[in-house]
Amino acid sequence: MGGESLYEIHQNAYIKLVLHALKHGTSAVNAALIGRSSSAGESVEIVDSVPLFHSQIGLLPPLEIALMMIEEYYGEKGLSIVGYFHANERSDDFELSSVAKNIGDHITRYFPQAALLLLENKKLEALPEGMDRSPVMQLYTKDASRSWKLVGSDGSNKLAIKEPSANIVLLDYISSEKWKDIIDFDDHLDDISKNWLNSELFQ
Amino acid sequence: MAFQSLTTPKSDLLLALKNGLCMNKWPVAAMDTQRLDMAKDYVKVLQEKFPESKRVGRLEALLLEAMGLWEEAEKAYSSLLEDNELDPVIHKRRVAMAKAQGNISGAIEWLNKYLEIFMADHDAWRELAEIYVSLQMYKQAAFCYEELILSQPTIPLYHLAYADVLYTLGGIENLHMAKKYYASTIDLTGGKHTRALFGVCLSTSAIDQLTKGRNKDDKENSQLASLSATALGKDYKQRAPNKVSLLASTLRSLKLSS
Repeated sequence: MGGESLYEIHQNAYIKLVLHALKHGTSAVNAALIGRSSSAGESVEIVDSVPLFHSQIGLLPPLEIALMMIEEYYGEKGLSIVGYFHANERSDDFELSSVAKNIGDHITRYFPQAALLLLENKKLEALPEGMDRSPVMQLYTKDASRSWKLVGSDGSNKLAIKEPSANIVLLDYISSEKWKDIIDFDDHLDDISKNWLNSELFQ
Repeated sequence: MAFQSLTTPKSDLLLALKNGLCMNKWPVAAMDTQRLDMAKDYVKVLQEKFPESKRVGRLEALLLEAMGLWEEAEKAYSSLLEDNELDPVIHKRRVAMAKAQGNISGAIEWLNKYLEIFMADHDAWRELAEIYVSLQMYKQAAFCYEELILSQPTIPLYHLAYADVLYTLGGIENLHMAKKYYASTIDLTGGKHTRALFGVCLSTSAIDQLTKGRNKDDKENSQLASLSATALGKDYKQRAPNKVSLLASTLRSLKLSS
């Protein structure tokens, strides 16, 4: 059922994910995807994202606190956690790790159409060369057999960025080293004055 | 320092190297920033000046690593080990290479072998623990942190990490232990450690859920949790005021009040 939906991600949500991965280039990172499904359920809108961790991703306590706070905050705005983003530690690692799948499973319990996004490092590296407008990440959803399947490998566009020029904006931010400013939940737990909402990031 | 070196004319650097200054740092910095042509130049200069040096030998092997020539690097390290069987740096490079090639089980094997000899290498124990966590092998990770706490009992980082692993493992005994180690972390850090304070709240809530309030002598335990919640509330009020209500509702959902 998840494989039938269309997933649209807003530019800022998309850019935050990549900037976060670039900031912590030598570790795995993850993020929560925030949004809503359409009334008929045929599409999911990813409106925002919250970068989570860049260390010890397999540990529960920080994750539980983060998800609770995120749900509280966005719940008031009528949004919920609709997916999970993961970037592997090594640039040549294309596998969906068990940690990613487990967290994805958890999110699916509350939002069955949950999207699991995996950073595509090769695509990211190639970005400056081409005029690729598609997102530099792979989309996985849970199919009827309850396992995570790669969506769109047959060429169909199931994941799209809302704003067509998002990759150009992303490249601009990368060259200005904007990734230095991004804050994740790990940073917040180390220093609570750091704002994981990144409200000033795109000002 | 690394960036400084990469903008200075090459000839000056080579001159400095020829006079034996900053032997290790510049080549490694060049490799770290993928300036392999510069790294090769540096290593060449060092080879000429110190032909039999073990350190230069390690740099040569490191350069092979940086170039992704794994087999050659492996050969280089093996031959270096023949004369330097107990060189910890070379042993650890092997682990790093395994990890870089995605051979995580190999990295674990090498790291365990290394720790049999160098059991006082705390960084290595931590590295091993982190690898285990990334593979969700929590029991094995717990063992590593136990070793670390045994040898360095006053380092709060190890108490916290151990508590996190225990909580993740779950089950009533582990949750009680986790709570103890969150508490000792708070103790060792003067009472303001955000992660440990949250940890106390989480573990108390999880224990309550599992025992469904059947455990009557947990009054002292719930006191600890409410103290932690209060401490968090105070800290958020001071340093993250716009998140105070968020904290309050989060703690409420854990059945604790700040």
